[in-house]
Amino acid sequence: MTSREEAFETLFKNEYARVAGIANRVLADPHEAEDVAQEVFINFHRLHSASAQFAPAWLHRAAAHTALNRLRGRRRREKRELAQAPEEAARTVDPQRMLEVNEDRRLVRAALARMAPKPASVLVLRASGLSYAEVAQALGVGTGQIGTLLRRAEAALRKEVTRGTSI
Amino acid sequence: MAHLSDGTLRRMIDDPDAISGSDRQHYVDCKDCQARHSGMADDARAVATLLAAPELKVDVASAFKQVQLAPAAKPRFGFSLPILRPASRTMLAGLGAAAVMIALVVTAFANILPLFQPKTVAPVAITVADVQSLQALGDYGTLTWSVNPNPQIVLTADEAKQISGLNVPKVAKLPTGVSNNITYAAMPKAVAVFTFDAKKAEAAAAKTGKALPKLPAGVDGAKLTVTVGPAVIEVFGNLNTKNPSGQDTSGSNSSSGSNNGPSDINLPQLVVAESAAPLVTSTQVTAKQLENYILSMPGISPQLAASLRAIGDPSTTLLIPVPIQYATSSKVTVQGVQGVALGDNTGAGAGVIWIKNGKVFAVAGFLKQSEVLTIANGLK
Repeated sequence: MTSREEAFETLFKNEYARVAGIANRVLADPHEAEDVAQEVFINFHRLHSASAQFAPAWLHRAAAHTALNRLRGRRRREKRELAQAPEEAARTVDPQRMLEVNEDRRLVRAALARMAPKPASVLVLRASGLSYAEVAQALGVGTGQIGTLLRRAEAALRKEVTRGTSI
Repeated sequence: MAHLSDGTLRRMIDDPDAISGSDRQHYVDCKDCQARHSGMADDARAVATLLAAPELKVDVASAFKQVQLAPAAKPRFGFSLPILRPASRTMLAGLGAAAVMIALVVTAFANILPLFQPKTVAPVAITVADVQSLQALGDYGTLTWSVNPNPQIVLTADEAKQISGLNVPKVAKLPTGVSNNITYAAMPKAVAVFTFDAKKAEAAAAKTGKALPKLPAGVDGAKLTVTVGPAVIEVFGNLNTKNPSGQDTSGSNSSSGSNNGPSDINLPQLVVAESAAPLVTSTQVTAKQLENYILSMPGISPQLAASLRAIGDPSTTLLIPVPIQYATSSKVTVQGVQGVALGDNTGAGAGVIWIKNGKVFAVAGFLKQSEVLTIANGLK
């Protein structure tokens, strides 16, 4: 194995769970999140050296953007969710509660998809456990800006969710 | 004392210690800030609940195997071509052709000038036939890189600066509708050596069946050392949705751009580039020898020859070839120096190129000429 391949494997092992976690936070779908994470790593490997200093930040940002872009293919996703919801509900102790959870998730993800990429990314990266410094690196902004971006993004998401439920 | 900023209050929720002593004292004394903090904490809790996701269990080893099965293509320069709307294709073809021609001809002419360090720019109208003729120059010797070009796509202006050593130009104000999402490309200095080879030239001429003029005496074995870069490029806009280093168009600073689907995502809206002016040195060939030689090549139009002869000092002028089928050009003043403004024939795109303090700058985009000039003049 070449050193390039070794570096990539190390990066993959260190970051895969986190990258998939970011995608899952956006998509609320573990299966699709892993699909996104793998796509992100493949693209990274094609473009960059795994030993690049910016590798983790690139992966985090790419995970958020790729997942958000997928989320915007709303029609396809909603169709699948509608088909999926009764199945999931049937597997739970409380089918009614499961249906409600699915509906909540759908509304939140639709609201996230309506937001601009930067605030949406700030939210999902932070909610995925990245530190302020890591979120700043991923988005290419100063750490001091994250508090403000996060605050605005949270207000925007609540507004969007409210808008979605009132339609 | 002024109230605490939203950013400071929000960060206090996640990290109560990340606050200065004076800010903390203000917070303790200020009912307004406490109320704002409380409202923000409510929002933060609500959003954390909203963004709850189903549990994710990953199998890293099996995921790695999956990724290894993917085809291992490795384009060196990180942009994948955006998906094009049919209406964009004609214009992109024009711009693409123009870009290729510019690269070819600038390189060709840079190569022939023994001490070439441009200080100004000048437009030269060229045709496809001119370019085809000039391309033949590449067969007259061997090109090797003593320092390979190593362009990289990076996330931030700081990283671009680290790679190139150049301060990334800042656009003072983006026109309405241009995305504020930026992708950076940066390249350190690269050095190419072109060695003229009489035998290769003869073979190339024989292959084409054309009677190409022989190299001037003494040119065989002459080496031209061409230094290009370092350079940085800022791409404003959103690249292919499949390219994660790009973003969706909803980052646009237009008031309406918050809900565009993937089908709306394609071409960069604005490109700003800065590069050290190319430098060419030569061991034994003179500019005049090679200029005469180039102008004697079959296929070079009399118009191009006349334009080239009209250039006052070719060793200090960067020629901006303007493909007359696709683009128009005019001389403009940018940042107090002479520049060349370019426009595509459809009127949808515009660009401007100038040289200042030893650096070549270019601004281009799907904008009006006046908008491009305003951006260029406001560049810092």
